[in-house]
Formats: sequence, structure tokens, C-alpha cells
Amino acid sequence: MLKVSEVVAGYQAGSRVLDGFSMHVRPGEIVALLGRNGMGKTTFLKALMGHVAVSGGSLSLDGEEIGGLKPYEVARRGVGYVPQGREIFPDFTVEENLLMGLLGRPELPSEVPDWAFEIFPILHERRKQRGGSMSGGQQQQLAIVRALVGRPKLLLLDEPSEGIQPNIVQEIGHVLSRIARDEGLTVLLVEQNMELVLGMAQRCLFMENGAIAYETDEVQKLRTDPAPIHRYLSV
Amino acid sequence: MNFAIGLGLDTLSFSLSLLLVSLGLVIIFGLMNVINMAHGEFFLLGAYSVVAVQQLQLPYWAALIVAPIALALVGLVLEQLIIRHVYHRFIDTILATWGISIVLKQLIIIGFGPTSQSIVNPLPEPVHILGVVYPSFRLFIMGAALAVSIATFWVFYRSNLGLAIRGVIANRAMAASLGLNTRRMDRWTFAFGAALAGFAGAVMAPIMSVDPQMGGGFLIPAFLSIMVGGVSHLFGVVLGVGLIGSTSTVISSLDTQLAAQIAVFLLAIVIIRLWPEGLITRKR
Repeated sequence: MLKVSEVVAGYQAGSRVLDGFSMHVRPGEIVALLGRNGMGKTTFLKALMGHVAVSGGSLSLDGEEIGGLKPYEVARRGVGYVPQGREIFPDFTVEENLLMGLLGRPELPSEVPDWAFEIFPILHERRKQRGGSMSGGQQQQLAIVRALVGRPKLLLLDEPSEGIQPNIVQEIGHVLSRIARDEGLTVLLVEQNMELVLGMAQRCLFMENGAIAYETDEVQKLRTDPAPIHRYLSV
Repeated sequence: MNFAIGLGLDTLSFSLSLLLVSLGLVIIFGLMNVINMAHGEFFLLGAYSVVAVQQLQLPYWAALIVAPIALALVGLVLEQLIIRHVYHRFIDTILATWGISIVLKQLIIIGFGPTSQSIVNPLPEPVHILGVVYPSFRLFIMGAALAVSIATFWVFYRSNLGLAIRGVIANRAMAASLGLNTRRMDRWTFAFGAALAGFAGAVMAPIMSVDPQMGGGFLIPAFLSIMVGGVSHLFGVVLGVGLIGSTSTVISSLDTQLAAQIAVFLLAIVIIRLWPEGLITRKR
């Protein structure tokens, strides 16, 4: 599905936040990318979306090279993005925010489908309310559904649990796992919150200094043997 | 009584004209955050398209189509060459667009000369309305201003296209991540603002002195109206032009033009001092 090889990327010309970063995600898989702050996780997602210039290596989605494409072109190839800090449109209503997830997809009808309001019932209740007036957790749910209405093949989530009450984090985890299972959605989750990761991910990648340092697909084993978590996540 | 009706019509006429001229600015300045010092010259080009249409022996009404199309093209070219490099550099937009304004004005002088042009009034017969005799072309201007304003507000605040445009302006990176081609939207939004200024110029030309300096006359009250009313809500501009327009018309009819200008500036200063974001703002 997603194949990343030897990617070099950084914010200024010459800076190498990612220096030969390689990884892959298989179709339908939920992969967690973990690591301390400043290790390049968010930079990687931004490079993937086309917000940060890629100066070397290759990024391919279903066999097509997407490195160097503009963000809207990446999105239209089926990548949904839920950025850190959610970035909902605070002055738009819940419904308008969801509509924004459709307006950039000429192949989809410009009307929010009913199922979008069923994913998280709170969005149905608040559909005419301004996005900015909702709690952090509700905004996160809105940002996730906004990405889902664009019918992505690959969903990128950047720290979805940050600053959100635990019960909503749990709900988000359940819902996304269900959608991934039922609809074959592929999810790449960047996180520091182990609860969400252990509840969702099928494979964990630990990142350090712009590269993958450790990888495991025995996610539940991390509960009993948290050594990699201590090694790569504790400050 | 007739005086009051006449004054009322004049106030409405001036306010609606001001609204028409302000619309392009609402988009370019209010929504896109570009202080467009060349907006008066866009208006000027619109007025001169009437002169050009007249020289080609075409009816005046053709200019109402020619002007917005010509200005949209001018807007597209300027956006591509200059404006796109200064988005988010608020202060630099002043310098860049001021430069554009000088170039456009000089081009007009080269093309049409520095003197004032006469435009034939396409609707010379006055009409009787509410017991007063009123120039019919002014009524046409009022109708055109109202129609174009409603259409513009509908596009920006009621249509999906308007939502997308406002989304791009609010959060460019996020809008792009959702699949919106932000460059294309910037380009066309700017062109649309320029086209509105051109249309306003063509509509107003028959009742103004069409000369290379005419752009400034409406530009200052238009900027003031937007700042007084606020740009975050559609009624802000309507309120702004209403206040500025009525103050200006009423005081100039009771006293002098100079007194009216002083009053308008005082009003604007007080309002902007007390409500820096304009009278109508969204609750945060």
C-alpha cells in the first residue's frame, strides 16, 4: 500500500530531519509510529502529504510515486490526514467542516452522507454548532470524520489522543478499529499514548533520529514486556 | 417632505454605490488580507472600459460585460506575477499594490490622455418617484448594486464554492490536505474581486468625471466602510457603507462636502478606536 524508501526531508534546504527513512504499510493494516518528540514523526507525515519537501528517496502509494506531489494531489489519491492539533475550521459549523472534507474531491457528491453523522453520534447532535465551540475530544472526532468522508484508502492520524479525555480516546480507538476491519481502511497512527496504540495497532514502529530503530508486530507483548517503550519513548 | 425624500434617495444611492465599490475590496482586503492600493485603479480600468466601448460605437451596456471580464484577466495576471508572492506579508501588500496602481494609472494616461472623458448617459430621461423627479440612471445603479451584492454574498456565504474559498483563506494547509487546489482558488478569488471592481467602475462611469484620478474618490470611503463594519460577517459591510454613506450624504447636503469628510473620518476614528475589529464581529 504505502512504501517509503530512503526518504530524506527537512524544513529548510539541507536540513535532514528524516535521513534515509524507510517503512511500509500493508493494505488494511493499522500501524503505529512511535517515538519521542522531535524524532521526525510529524515531519514524516507532512512529507508524505506534500507539506514538507522531500529531497531524496521515494514515497509510493499503491505503486505510484507520490513524493513531490502537492498536498491536494496526495489527498485526491486517497490519503486522509488528521493533523496534530486537529485543525478544524473553528468558524464553520460541524456540517460545514464535514463538507470541507468533500469539496476537494470532485468525484464525490458535495453533500455530507448520513453515515458521517453516525460514526460519532455527538456530531449529529451538534451538526449546526460551530466547530470551535466544541471540546477538544469532539473536535478530534470531527477532524477524523472530516477525513473519512473523503473516502481515503490510507488514513494518517497525528497524535489523535493529545489533550483528550480518556473515554473519548477509547471511543476513537474502537470506532477506527471497526472501520478498518469492516472497510479495509489502512491506518498509520503517530502516537505517544500507549493505551490507544495497544488498543488499535497491529504493528508498532519505534522511531529515533529520523529512522526506524525497532519494529514489532507482537503488539500485545509490549504490555508484558515494555522494554522498547521505555527505551524509545521515556524521556 | 420632498427634500427628505430626495435626501433619502441620495443617501440610498450613495450607500449602494459605495457597497458596489466595496464588494471587490471585501473579498481582496477583507477575505484575502491583501491591502489592495490598486483597487481604485481596477475601478478606473472598469470606467475606462466604458470609454473604450463608446469609442468602438458599441452600446454602453456592453461595457457591463466587457469590464468585469477584462478586470478578471488583469486580476489573474497580477495575482500570478505579483500578489501570490506577498500573501501573508500584510505590509508588503501595500507597497506591491501601490506600485501596481501607479503603473495602471500611467497606462491609462498613455492610452487615453490625462484629461477627463465624457460618457453619454445611457438613461437620460428622469423618472418620477415618490413625488420627486429622480435621474433614472441612478435608480439603475441602485438596482445593479443590490443585485450584485446579493449575488456575491450568496456565492461567498451560502454556496459550496464560497465555503471552500473561506476554508482556504482560514487554513490554507488544512484545506490543501483535504484535496482543495488552493493556488487555483486564490487566483480566481482575486480575479473575482478585481472583476467586481471593474464592474463597479463601468456602472458608475456615466455619473462620474472619468479621468485618471477618479479611482481614489471611492477607495477611501470603501476602505473605511469595511473597517467600520468589520469583515467577518456579511452584514458588517452593509452596516459600514450604510453608516459612512448616510453620514456623508446627509452632512454634505446640510453643510459642505468638507464638513461631510471631517464627519466621516471622525466617525470612523471613533468606531475603530472602540471596536478595532469593526462593529460586527463573530463571537470567539
